[in-house]
Amino acid sequence: MSGKSVLIIGGGAAGLESAAQLISLGYKPVIVEKEESLGGNIKNWDRLFPDGIEAKAVLDGLLKRSSFSDIYLNSNVIEVKNSNSNFTVTLSNNNVVKADSILITTGFDVFKAERKEEYGYGIYDHVITNVDLEKFFLSKHDERINSPKKIGFVHCVGSRDEKICNRNCSKVCCVTAVKQAIELKEMFPDSQAYCFYMDLRMFNRGFEDIYLEAQSQHGVRFIRGRVSEVSEDIDKKVVVKCEDTLSSKPMKIKLDLLVLMSGMLNNSSSTQLSPVLGVKLAEDGFYKCEETIPGGNKTNVNGVFIAGTATGPKTLPETINDARSAAIEIHNYLNSTING
Amino acid sequence: MADFGFSLHPSSSIDLDNADKRLYKIVSELEPDIKKCIACGSCTASCSASNLTKVSFRQAILKLDRGLSEEAVMLLKGCMLCGKCTMTCPRGINTRNIINLILRYSDNKKIK
Amino acid sequence: MKERIIFGYDAFVLPFTIGMIFIILYLGVGLVRIIAALSKEDRIKLVKSFVSPTLIKTIKDIIFDCLLHVKIFKKNLLLGYMHASIAFGWFMLIFIGHIEVMIYTPQRNGVLYYPVFFRYFVMETQETLRGAFFFFLMDFFLLMVLSGIGLAIYKRFKSRALGMRRTTRLSKRDTIALYALWAIFPLRLLAESFTADISGGSFLTKSINHLFHNFVNNSDHILPVWWAYSSALGIFLFALPFSRYMHIPTEMLLIVLRNAGIKSDNTREGFAETEIYSCSSCGICIDACPMTTQKKNLNNTTVYFLRFLRRRNKRKPIVPADKCLMCGKCVEMCPVGIDSCRLKQFKRSDVSENGAKADYTYLSSYSSNVKKGSKILYYSGCMTHLTPNIYNALFNVLDKANLEYEFLDKDGSICCGRPLMLSGRKEEAKGLIEKNSMLIKESGADILLVSCPICYKMFNEEYDLGKIKLLHHTQLIDSMIADKTLKINKSDKSFVFHDPCELGRGSNIYRQPRRVLTSQGRVVEANFNKKESICCGGSLGSLALSKPERDAITKHSIESLTYNKPDTIVTACPLCYKTFSQLSGTPVKDIAQVTAENLI
Repeated sequence: MSGKSVLIIGGGAAGLESAAQLISLGYKPVIVEKEESLGGNIKNWDRLFPDGIEAKAVLDGLLKRSSFSDIYLNSNVIEVKNSNSNFTVTLSNNNVVKADSILITTGFDVFKAERKEEYGYGIYDHVITNVDLEKFFLSKHDERINSPKKIGFVHCVGSRDEKICNRNCSKVCCVTAVKQAIELKEMFPDSQAYCFYMDLRMFNRGFEDIYLEAQSQHGVRFIRGRVSEVSEDIDKKVVVKCEDTLSSKPMKIKLDLLVLMSGMLNNSSSTQLSPVLGVKLAEDGFYKCEETIPGGNKTNVNGVFIAGTATGPKTLPETINDARSAAIEIHNYLNSTING
Repeated sequence: MADFGFSLHPSSSIDLDNADKRLYKIVSELEPDIKKCIACGSCTASCSASNLTKVSFRQAILKLDRGLSEEAVMLLKGCMLCGKCTMTCPRGINTRNIINLILRYSDNKKIK
Repeated sequence: MKERIIFGYDAFVLPFTIGMIFIILYLGVGLVRIIAALSKEDRIKLVKSFVSPTLIKTIKDIIFDCLLHVKIFKKNLLLGYMHASIAFGWFMLIFIGHIEVMIYTPQRNGVLYYPVFFRYFVMETQETLRGAFFFFLMDFFLLMVLSGIGLAIYKRFKSRALGMRRTTRLSKRDTIALYALWAIFPLRLLAESFTADISGGSFLTKSINHLFHNFVNNSDHILPVWWAYSSALGIFLFALPFSRYMHIPTEMLLIVLRNAGIKSDNTREGFAETEIYSCSSCGICIDACPMTTQKKNLNNTTVYFLRFLRRRNKRKPIVPADKCLMCGKCVEMCPVGIDSCRLKQFKRSDVSENGAKADYTYLSSYSSNVKKGSKILYYSGCMTHLTPNIYNALFNVLDKANLEYEFLDKDGSICCGRPLMLSGRKEEAKGLIEKNSMLIKESGADILLVSCPICYKMFNEEYDLGKIKLLHHTQLIDSMIADKTLKINKSDKSFVFHDPCELGRGSNIYRQPRRVLTSQGRVVEANFNKKESICCGGSLGSLALSKPERDAITKHSIESLTYNKPDTIVTACPLCYKTFSQLSGTPVKDIAQVTAENLI
């Protein structure tokens, strides 16, 4: 066991995986988490693409392997004193932690769908988000979902949108929409699902197969047209307007449930944390990697590293790989400071 | 260009090499953002006039780019210039100005 | 007092006199041209205005605006004094000079140059109280003008001291006229001082005369100075029609025509020409324009637009005309009241003359399916379909007040036509106006309720709705709170109200929204509010402004709104609401939403 310590800010998938790796490399990391339990965004998910593994199983594994860490829950980082890469960190409950290196794994924020007012989230009775739907799959209960016969999925909500000031594609929403369409169809076999997309990003191995399955086995209809407005009719059905660009005609359809695929935005804590740590943010609010190709785990501050969706949208396997690579970077860094 | 002895009816296919892009050139010099369109269709979907008649901004600039300028103008004559398309465009294109420019310079004569 | 020079003439009066004759001819021809360019109806209006009470208003306006520059005093005291002192002081010098001639040398009445060069041609025979009084007045007004000139010179270096962040870039002709004008009064002072011991003077001229006694006593030095004075006047008069100072005579004509009810109907002739020449290039419109938060847009302000029109440049006015937000602030702040937004719309119309025209004949087959006979007909307008929070909140309020209403454009609007009109396509907008009028009248409603100020201004000014009453939702909510139809909860939250361009400056509705908010919380004001409110940046008036340029304007407007740190920014326009929501950290709500939240 080396005497060096690592502070991990953010106890989500990336934070827990890198803690697990650091533990197996002989460290006792400290995890600071702002919520009252660990796990971050994956706590809200039911089953993961492409194979339908349960998120809970993944989370339980991560929690078990990282349990040796010192954990501070309900805590935020308030102040960081950096003297030659020896960090003294003050937390919100007045705890002070000393660390030889810091790992930022603060993750992402889901786009608040109320901001896209024309889609009617929070205004109409049967408009929900992808996050709400995953929670429904876990709890089996949501008063907005009432044996829907016709279900719509709106892609790119809060992503690729200059009006939200977010040009980024959130990467995973397309395959999530197709996955959720299939899951809803399995739950309500008499229903019909529609996906309203601009592009279909089925980038990974196996994703095109999911798309194929959705079309042929579950009859999901894919309509190429971005939804411009949503309204409600007398029976509280959701009325969706888009252009069916492939037939060049405006289209209108009434649905019983509309699912908005809210995108991944930068975590709101970054505006407070960035000046405290001295780590630069990029123009879109995510953290800036010093080198993107040889390994995007270093920041502009010596001794401060970064992993996971804090640097941009990623799938869960990519996040876990990124966290492992960060653990190795940190291990190499800490060893070099011992020798050098 | 060699004549192979057969010809396609002009309106059935697009000959990108010989497309008449004069109007496209005039408009894109004044509003370069016209090149940013990803054809998502939000403009046509939110259009006040497209409920009632054939008006489509997305299709119009596509036709303009393909050299079918008269068809592009026909697709915009019913436009009320209400501005909803500009409000919804995810690429931040100034659609309303482009429509006005297409109508304004439809005779292909830019003011010197 | 008696004449010193026989025949009352010297060659030095020539530059001034020839300049004066030139100006009189030029103005005469200009007047004839302008009146000839007016339409027949406008000429009749003009004649009628001379035989009606408007004549009194016109005379009052000329005194208050041309001489005293009251409007500029309201913007900044020092700036107002600068303009007023030169205008009023110079007017008094001319006026009193003529009185002097009438009293002392009545034989020279009607000689063009005599009052101007009075102090050269006369000699004081006895010191009288009346004489001393006149001398005092002349010196006093000369000092007034000189103080104004001093401020004007200072303003060229430090304009902020006079409340102007930016001033106009002068053209070469303006610069020649400017230097000539600045030279006139110091030279007058010098010239009159030289002859003060002969012709008499007062505190200013006599003092200088005593100071430079030896220099002044050499009679060879007197004439060159008077030549210089006359030449400065001459240069100024010759340069006047080609410079910004043409506003001096033209503004008077503008006031006469405007009070007769005449408006511009093209970009260059008739009333438009009067407006263009009345522009003094004062530059107040530069600071008023919301675009100038970015330096690159300085050239797109009204003052330069008018300059391009004046020079009959066909191409250059197009960019400022297309970029203009039509927010009306430059029209509001203009001391001369030039309706430049109207001229810009005509320019847009001119440019689109040869192009394709919009065609709304397809509307004829459309009919609405609202229930006939409902008391209130609600027209949301195009933009409000993208902000459903506004009409949902409004419907909650109307339901609470047990009011019956029908939603005319629930399935999609036929645009009111104002964005089309602002784009210079007023003729084409008639197709929309006709169809909408028909639908509205067919509904049998008593009240047309709108939540969008753009629609409000359009219905108010360009539609004839017969007996149907037009109400903006702020007006309706205000009256319902006043007659206790709505019961409202008051909290300690603070609100700032953003005056939309079309509701505030455009339709003069300022008090009702503030009354509504005062009944629900504490109202604080923006740094620039009411008539000076800064456009949100989303205005459909602008054709060519890009999104980044608009964002800069939005941020500037938000800065002004959050100056007094309100809890919520309240708007009454769907476009302002959407534009601010995208960039504001402070929550943004429509006034209907706020009211709905505070209903008991």
